[in-house]
Amino acid sequence: MRAEKLSDLLKKGDRVAVSNVTGREASKVCAISQKYCMNIVGGWALGKGGHLVETAAGPIPVYATFDELLKMTPTERHPNKILIYSPPEAVYGEVKEVVNYGKKIVETIYIITEHVSIEVTAKIHQICSEACIDVIGCNTLGIINTHDRARIGAVGGDFPEETFKSGSVSVISNSGNMVNTIASYLLAAGIGNSFGISTGKDRLILFPLKDFLTLAEKDPLTRLIVLYVEPGGTYEHDALEMMQSNGFSKPLVVYVAGEIADRHRISLGHAGAVVECRKSSASAKKNGFDGYFGIESFKVEKHYKKTPELIGALSRGIRVQALHHISRAVTLIYNTLGIKKDFSTTKPIRLNPWFVNLGELGKALPPELAPAPGLIPEPYASQIGDQMETFLRGMIRQPMRNASHASSNDGATPRIYGYSLMDIMTKKSLISAIILYWTGDLPKDDFEERLAEMTFIASLTNGPGTISAQGAKCSTSAGNTPNTAMIATLATLGTVHGGNGARSVQFLLDNFGNLDIHDPYNEYPGVKDIALRAANDFKVRKTQAKEAGIEYERIPCLGHPVYRNDPVNYDPREQVIYQFIKDSGKTNIFLDFYHELVQFLKDNGCTNKVLAVNLDAAIACVWLGICWRKIREKQMTVSRAFDIPFLAFALGRAAGGAGEYLDHQDYGTEMDMRIPVTECRSLTRPRKL
Amino acid sequence: MALRVTELTFLDFYAPRYGIPVPRHIWGTSEIEEIKRALEEWGGEAIVKPDVLSGERGKAGSVVSVKNIHDALREIKRVSGVEVDGMMPRIAYLVEKISSKMEIYSAITYNSAFLAPSFTLSLEGGIDVEDIQEENKVTIPIDIFRGLDAYQASQVLARLDCPKDLISTLSRCMVSFWDFFISTGMEIAEINPWRVTPDGRPYACDFKGIVDEANYKAKVPGVEFPEYPESFSDFEEEMRGWDARSHQGQAHVSDIGGTKILPILFGGGISTIITETLESAGGRPMFLSDFGGNPPYERMLGTAKICFAHRLAQAKLLLILGGKANNTLIDVTFQAIADALVSYAEEHGSISTPVVIGRGGPNLVKGLLAMKQALEYLKLPYIIFGPDTPVTMVAEYAAKLVNAFESIEEVEK
Repeated sequence: MRAEKLSDLLKKGDRVAVSNVTGREASKVCAISQKYCMNIVGGWALGKGGHLVETAAGPIPVYATFDELLKMTPTERHPNKILIYSPPEAVYGEVKEVVNYGKKIVETIYIITEHVSIEVTAKIHQICSEACIDVIGCNTLGIINTHDRARIGAVGGDFPEETFKSGSVSVISNSGNMVNTIASYLLAAGIGNSFGISTGKDRLILFPLKDFLTLAEKDPLTRLIVLYVEPGGTYEHDALEMMQSNGFSKPLVVYVAGEIADRHRISLGHAGAVVECRKSSASAKKNGFDGYFGIESFKVEKHYKKTPELIGALSRGIRVQALHHISRAVTLIYNTLGIKKDFSTTKPIRLNPWFVNLGELGKALPPELAPAPGLIPEPYASQIGDQMETFLRGMIRQPMRNASHASSNDGATPRIYGYSLMDIMTKKSLISAIILYWTGDLPKDDFEERLAEMTFIASLTNGPGTISAQGAKCSTSAGNTPNTAMIATLATLGTVHGGNGARSVQFLLDNFGNLDIHDPYNEYPGVKDIALRAANDFKVRKTQAKEAGIEYERIPCLGHPVYRNDPVNYDPREQVIYQFIKDSGKTNIFLDFYHELVQFLKDNGCTNKVLAVNLDAAIACVWLGICWRKIREKQMTVSRAFDIPFLAFALGRAAGGAGEYLDHQDYGTEMDMRIPVTECRSLTRPRKL
Repeated sequence: MALRVTELTFLDFYAPRYGIPVPRHIWGTSEIEEIKRALEEWGGEAIVKPDVLSGERGKAGSVVSVKNIHDALREIKRVSGVEVDGMMPRIAYLVEKISSKMEIYSAITYNSAFLAPSFTLSLEGGIDVEDIQEENKVTIPIDIFRGLDAYQASQVLARLDCPKDLISTLSRCMVSFWDFFISTGMEIAEINPWRVTPDGRPYACDFKGIVDEANYKAKVPGVEFPEYPESFSDFEEEMRGWDARSHQGQAHVSDIGGTKILPILFGGGISTIITETLESAGGRPMFLSDFGGNPPYERMLGTAKICFAHRLAQAKLLLILGGKANNTLIDVTFQAIADALVSYAEEHGSISTPVVIGRGGPNLVKGLLAMKQALEYLKLPYIIFGPDTPVTMVAEYAAKLVNAFESIEEVEK
């Protein structure tokens, strides 16, 4: 063993190089590590020299070989820690290269890779021992040094700081997942971590437990060690022998898993969790620790009286029988030995369901088995709000080839979302049917139905010069069929013409999505403030972009090429809708917001006139109003809400295109949309071949 | 990633290839005339043994001495049909009986104390190594690059007071044993006993070993590892095949005979803990599973589909439980499980199995919401926990819940 104390395995200032850094998992994990502690100086991957692994904290340079990495990296940044992420068959070669070129530089190699053969593992141990390099693994998840805010590997997952707060316990675990899990239980009990270590649990663990314990004993910030142990190997037996003969100054809390393998002839998850001899079984390990501690395993219901015997036993430690007793056992030891907890705030360890729906069966259960939903802790509670916008898409993936929620036909009755088509024909309007088909529900009232109808009417046309009308006319002029003319109309729609409504919905959700608004047709006193903030945010973005000389994203659906010349501009079609809402004694907070916004943009100097709120905005505001309740109640995907205004416009224009077709068909002449050659300009000079 | 090797495979393939002296043998499925001839050549006496993946053959009464062809044929038939430690033999076979003046134990294995191969020898062969007194056995580490040499074997034999006239022969046998071990990707190999004839010739008279399938040397040309009949249930067999198709993520199950809870578990360590907790709390899990290791969507989907196809119809409760994952993407894995559940319901009609979920890790919220949505769609009763509730508490709760549901159902009936 080269390391003399735990921090020699990882500390602040260590420099990490990663093999196969461009791999799927390696690149993801390294990006998080880099954001957490910026300790990766580079990586290597065969054939990938010159690449970069992009991370939020800057790119990680990739070299073709480890040798090249050393040559291209300044001496003071030469790596002293290596993280191996290569496939099993490549691991031995990677280690040999590291030993060959990094003998005097590298102190520790962490091998994440699973399924490395045991023969290769033994060879790695031998060559690294001779080179005075410590090896952790194979199949380790890595290590975290919380006080130094440094990690190697994936301990702590995507948010290491969420689970690992500086404290007094080192967790040493045969299971990578358990490092994280145990640390989170300890944190809830007000106990932080000094180190979290995944030993790996292949058939050979190249850094044995007794060596970890020797280092942990010397670590001044570690007051107690939590061990998670599985069957297989004599590591615990050897460690106990060491502690018994040399003494050990720090208490341990131990959980031994895997006694199930004594009862059933099964293989456990980890390759090394194989009972080869009696002393490697779970029961033998339990007995070994109990014998060393001199106290029976922790009993949660027992009242421990502070006696010299208890102090003596707990200064060695105690074994727990349930994982969730670990933090209570640590607390018992801290209280008994007079060790102060790291944090004063604690959360009770208890059943805390986040979501419950036990249905009818739940009513028959005793109360303790049918708990009500508890409080969801942060950051998850906020994330659930954020996820509302995105999670619904693709929630229930299923083959849709012959299935539809929207329509059905049982051989007798065609239906839309369950409503008989014949009933709709006799009792409802076309607009109601369309709203049903698109949203799954009939319009709430006549007001909503009429508003939707207005958006269709307003979308029919804006004169023969619009490109959508031109599409229909060109198609007719070429001799196409009616449906082709309608397709030509639709083909001229895009994100700029007609599709801006989707962006408008996005913009409105950005501003209103997190607010507790139940009915968008009622006055909302905060609309002015939201509009002012949006206007000011836009001004900042615009100014910054202009200073940087880059493009910036415009606010969607403001201004119009026709209605733009007055000090205060209006799109007359939008105005009809707006006035109808007001005349009905109602409001639409999204449209109100738009009107406030154009004024604030003028006031803060972003525009020199009050821009028109155009028809696309009105369509978006109307349809978002119709969809609002379903979005809030998570019965509709946000992407559907994006699409609907576009579809409303497209449906209107397709009908408009049909009108243009009929007109052009009756009165036009063949090819009359063709522009005479004399009217076409060439922008390129003639050239000779 | 480990494959057990029986004596018969050792006799058929390995021993002749590496010059390890073994008694002559013949398969019990051979022609009667051939068996008869073999018996005559061997002096009329032989041992009938089953080819089975258990080291408990002697204790099961399945190793039988025979002295004539009639006994031999009868015992071949009987032994090949008798379970040993819950496992059915593949076939029975006969080996020549070796008379001996002494029996020797030998094993080569990777040793967690040395972090290297080790060689163990005792002159008290024929019994379990752990029943041999410490002073009567010697274990030495072997340099993985240099291997075991004759001089080292002779030193060990000398320490055990082996008769000097046997040391040379036995040392050469041990070197052959090492050559075989290191050339074939073995992880554990035990020859017990070597029987030494009165005239000083040693024979390897029983063998068991484990091949490390992660070692490329395990694929020795010409060596075929036979399939054994009863080893796995259809469920385990299908999952093993699925597991072997990819290294991305675990797909490991072991039947443990429970009848109540179908456990979809994640993580090598935590799956063990949860299963133990379920057992001790009366949850009677159907199997032990580990589906951790960050499986991609398609992988997890396939895994969940296999679980549901084989066990969901019998399950009283579905438990989806893991700790706070470091790597595994919860949205991907849970979406896959949700989709598999929906597919199952569409193929098999509506289901009513209650579902208990507990998990933590990357993209947790998205994953939990995906599951919640699917469960609501399927109208299944459910309860979902986050990482703030320990997995063992969730497992205890699930065990209590399944028993309470059963009681309610019984009352309703």
